[in-house]
Amino acid sequence: MKHFWREVGFLLRQRASVWAVTLLAGLALLSVGLGLHDVAKQKAAISQVIDLQKQDSAAIKVFATEAGDAAYYRFHPTWNPPAPLAFAALGQRDIAPSIMRIRALALEGQIHENEAQNPELALPGRFDFAFVLIYLAPLVLIVLFYDLWSGEREAGRLASLEAMPLARSHLWFPRILARFGVVSAALIPVFWIGALISGAGLRDTIAFTGLIVALLGFWTLFAAWIAKGRGGSSTNAAVLATVWFVITLIVPAGANLVINATTPIPDGAAILRENREAVHDAWDLDRAATLQRFYKFHPELASSPPMQRPFEWKWYFAFQHLGDQQVESLSTFYRTGIAKRDARAGLVALALPPLAIQRAFHRIANTDLAAQSAYQDRIRAYHTQLRTYYYPYLFLAKPFTPADFDAAPEFSDRLAE
Amino acid sequence: MRRAVLIARAELALMFRSHVALIGVIALLLLSAIAAATSQAHMAQERFSRLANQTQTDALFEAQPARHPHRMVHYGSYVYRPIGPLAGFEPGIDPFSGTTLYLEGHRQNSATISAVRENSSLMRFGQLTPAFVLQTLAPLLLIFLGFSMITREHMRGSLRLMLSAGVTPRDLILGKSLALGLVGLIALAPAWLALLMMAIAEPSEAGAAALMGLGYGLYVLIWVFGIVAASALAQSGQAALLSLIGIWCFIAIVAPRGAAELAGRLEPLETRAATDLMIQAELRQLGDSHNPDDPFFAAFKARTLAQYGVTKIEDLPFNFRGAVSAEGEALTSRLFDKYFVELATTQRTQSQIVSLMSIASPAIAVRRISMAGAGTDLETHLRFLQQSEAHRFAMVQYLNRLHRDKLSQADDAARSKDPLAEQRTRIAADNWAKVPDFAFKPTSAKERMLAAIAPILTLAFWLASVMVLAGWSARVLRARAL
Repeated sequence: MKHFWREVGFLLRQRASVWAVTLLAGLALLSVGLGLHDVAKQKAAISQVIDLQKQDSAAIKVFATEAGDAAYYRFHPTWNPPAPLAFAALGQRDIAPSIMRIRALALEGQIHENEAQNPELALPGRFDFAFVLIYLAPLVLIVLFYDLWSGEREAGRLASLEAMPLARSHLWFPRILARFGVVSAALIPVFWIGALISGAGLRDTIAFTGLIVALLGFWTLFAAWIAKGRGGSSTNAAVLATVWFVITLIVPAGANLVINATTPIPDGAAILRENREAVHDAWDLDRAATLQRFYKFHPELASSPPMQRPFEWKWYFAFQHLGDQQVESLSTFYRTGIAKRDARAGLVALALPPLAIQRAFHRIANTDLAAQSAYQDRIRAYHTQLRTYYYPYLFLAKPFTPADFDAAPEFSDRLAE
Repeated sequence: MRRAVLIARAELALMFRSHVALIGVIALLLLSAIAAATSQAHMAQERFSRLANQTQTDALFEAQPARHPHRMVHYGSYVYRPIGPLAGFEPGIDPFSGTTLYLEGHRQNSATISAVRENSSLMRFGQLTPAFVLQTLAPLLLIFLGFSMITREHMRGSLRLMLSAGVTPRDLILGKSLALGLVGLIALAPAWLALLMMAIAEPSEAGAAALMGLGYGLYVLIWVFGIVAASALAQSGQAALLSLIGIWCFIAIVAPRGAAELAGRLEPLETRAATDLMIQAELRQLGDSHNPDDPFFAAFKARTLAQYGVTKIEDLPFNFRGAVSAEGEALTSRLFDKYFVELATTQRTQSQIVSLMSIASPAIAVRRISMAGAGTDLETHLRFLQQSEAHRFAMVQYLNRLHRDKLSQADDAARSKDPLAEQRTRIAADNWAKVPDFAFKPTSAKERMLAAIAPILTLAFWLASVMVLAGWSARVLRARAL
């Protein structure tokens, strides 16, 4: 232990090391601050929309005395609240909406809506804690390690150091550990402060901390391995930097190309268009036949009397649902295709610890693609609840009162869990 | 100057003999080639698929049967953001923004279907495009090849020897810069070639392509002089290498993210859902078409009746319902425009904040030139949104005019209850073909060139600064050698 503290002391007397580590801690602090702000902003936006939607629904309630009017005009909010650790790994949350308003109409035309973000800001990626850890911390470790052996060799001290009794356990091991410890100390407490403020659970915080340690451990071992080799200081630095940018820049970009080429997905635009065609074609089709097709999915409504007029809400909502049914297989194919791309990215990550850790971060923080599709699944389940809520009023002449307007099912962000 | 050329030649001979340098250059060229080929092919495929989608959508619209015109208002249309000829070089925001927009009456939808939501998170690490290779990777190669150019001479004692033989520090700096500049030229060559080929294929884009080529040339030169200066100023090769990697990391990785974060923080955007609801609330204040006593629509009715000198709507020479639809659409469209201006202003300000940060990082400036030149920047997307909205409004109002002029008032009122009246409210299908197709007018080559001027000047300023630094490093070198 005393060897460890001695080496920490040495390390903290080197100006460049102190600079690098302080800068890293500062950037980590900044990233945590930005992340917490972002998460707070998303939470505020969610409650703002829920409030605004209440006012909107109140105004609709005044004229929507028929169930059909209510089902047609009234939007219902759905939301995907940030998990406590989202501040540390924002993942896909900047490009996918955290809140979407849904109606009982065909869902495919609604669920792909996008957030009104500035794409130029999404392009470079986010400045979150995961970024500081995955991109910047390895560079600091490289700075601390690259000349650990070669520096001594170049100064002519290596032979005498190696000749020391217990050099391994009293010198090199404490030196390595000191570097690893100092970088960990620059990052982990900063993360803990963020986790404390955001109220993250102990289990997730420990898991996240474990991942931080694993990432720093990976780079520590790798950097020490290269540094122990025969290369000169500059060669070591160049080799380490090259490996770093190959792992964090080139392999992900290349793998993405390969995955996309080998995992085709249906054209999303075609799903939207086919959904619209299916919905609007119904206006020119035999109405009774449309209803019969609908009753196959909802036999409990088949006792509804035949249509009396050219337009009835029940028929309108029946063909909305048929429109979704029409593209269901295409839409499923689209979603499973995206999930497959993500799974293949997971395979690539297996070979490269930094990518695997990045993915694990996003998983724990619930900001990855899986979290986005889980939100979409919750929307789908909620949409089913919503339309089937209105069906008895539309098809079975159940009287629709203002109390029924208020009793429409509400979204729960725990629906699928 | 002759001495400088000799120094450059010696340096290049040394590089050529070093396997590391050779492998580095070949690896970069290979990456450039892969990036150019795949990115070009991908964007060509995207371009084709969007065009095919547009053609199909337009054909579907024209093929709709005889219908009530308001049905067509709800049927609507789709527009797909076209891709400019240079986008293969720099896809820019294209994968990060929705490409498909549904246009329908009463509503303004968001641009949807974006590559970034169809890809794994790997995409957020960066995409292998010619622009990425030049902006991010080429400087790193130059650093590896150049960091020890002068420190090496210093360490080996050859620096003092050269200076006493009459070589001036200026010759040395110039010669080393020349050698590294040549490597930079090799790194640039595939990109320049790709731009040249695109310019030949699409001569109207030549100016924009030339500015992009110039921007990247300046960017690479900045690195060349910066690296040589760092090599001259550093105490040791390691110090030069580490500080250059630090600077590279800041310029190419940290600054662009930091700038985006700063812009988002200073100029926050409303969520789409909130904006929609605010528009709805404001619309209700202005005129509520669901309220039979609404003052706005009552006034419109009174005004219309007075204009035609009649007392009830049945006596109007047209279908009043169509006129109300048109009036309502004009009202909502005004609000859409108002909120769009707010959104666009905020987003443009955000992008300007990012641009300002190019004072801290030339990578931001070169990316700006690249995206503006290729027409893959925010401006192109905003224009797409704006022109789509104009197209939506024109299409809906055309259909509303048909609704007003071609339908009998009595049939229109009875159509939900009376099947025969419903049949009579359907108008001939040949009316649909008269809706003009969406023709996107992207930023013109001239506008894009103008947009690239400020960042070009920023790069020129950067280049002047690093050249001054290199000149100063020559003085330091002399002092150190003596």
